[in-house]
Amino acid sequence: MKDVAVQCDSLIKTYGGKRALNGFTLSLPANRVTAVLGPNGAGKSTFFRMLTGLTAPDSGSVRVLGHAPGWRTNRQIAYLPDRARWYGNQTVAEALDWGAKLLPGFDRPRAEQLLRYMDLELQMPAEGMSRGQEARLMLTLCIARDVPLLVLDEPFAGIDLISRERIVSALIDNMSDREQTVLISTHEIVETEGLFDYAVFLENGRVALAGETEELRRERGSLEMLYRKLFG
Amino acid sequence: MKEELGGKLQFELDLSQPLYEQVWNHVRSSVAKGVIGLGEKMPSVRELAQMLQINPNTVMRAYQELERDGLTETRRGQGTFITSDPIKVATVRESLAQAAVEEFLARMDGLGFTVRDVMQMIRSKGGNGE
Repeated sequence: MKDVAVQCDSLIKTYGGKRALNGFTLSLPANRVTAVLGPNGAGKSTFFRMLTGLTAPDSGSVRVLGHAPGWRTNRQIAYLPDRARWYGNQTVAEALDWGAKLLPGFDRPRAEQLLRYMDLELQMPAEGMSRGQEARLMLTLCIARDVPLLVLDEPFAGIDLISRERIVSALIDNMSDREQTVLISTHEIVETEGLFDYAVFLENGRVALAGETEELRRERGSLEMLYRKLFG
Repeated sequence: MKEELGGKLQFELDLSQPLYEQVWNHVRSSVAKGVIGLGEKMPSVRELAQMLQINPNTVMRAYQELERDGLTETRRGQGTFITSDPIKVATVRESLAQAAVEEFLARMDGLGFTVRDVMQMIRSKGGNGE
């Protein structure tokens, strides 16, 4: 692998007797869009939290962008946590102000441009937004950052079809504009699989399979078929 | 004009096959059939990626293959154009036809027919073998 964005070796993480990660070893290519797939409880969110230093492994090592996770690497990561919400009392404009002040690499003009894709307006309050609108706002704050690594934990979960298509369009636009490593976990495989050039399948805290999506398609079929074969 | 071409390039992807090959083949056959004309401007990588909702790298890879075929040319600052050379289009058309014949013969072979049998069948369908 030419440039590696993420390197995990033999990670173990136990929560109350349950192994969330169990010998998790993975290398992810830089400047690619990687799907992180697997059933609930496979370790996707734990893996993402480890990249941002929110969770430390019991043993094993993590390198992200060439360093151990911490505040320095976090400046270079835009992370959308699972089930993320925004402050209800803020408008979209205030959220962008907040981003411009506090998020490293935040590109305000780009954020305003993204709002059009996302069909959001500056004066809209977060309170009273639908789940899809709020997801689009959270995503705008992530995508508007010019950082080398974008980590999105289930950005399509529980949102409507139109919101999902808008998000996919914004992501495609983003990929056209900049070199960035993107990791996305999702259960919406069929609807999003064209986005990915690399895929990782997780099961019981380990990597069951990882590879280039075009090679996987040629040798074994669609990501959805593979998912069913592995976990069905 | 561009939107019109965009419409012609819209097609259903099969997610169980490599996507760049499908984009590549779709453009090649559209040009061979004359659906896309000589010298026409291709959508940008971004536009086609948006249209098909796929990774821009996939479109880029298909465009590189098309350029290698001599079927498209990139003009600096202007974008990608279908070649205006009818000989290049004829060459691609020929190679697509060859591939179709090979595929057909392989299938007939799989069914146990010889080339001679196949020729006879084609004649009986009204082809004169010339």
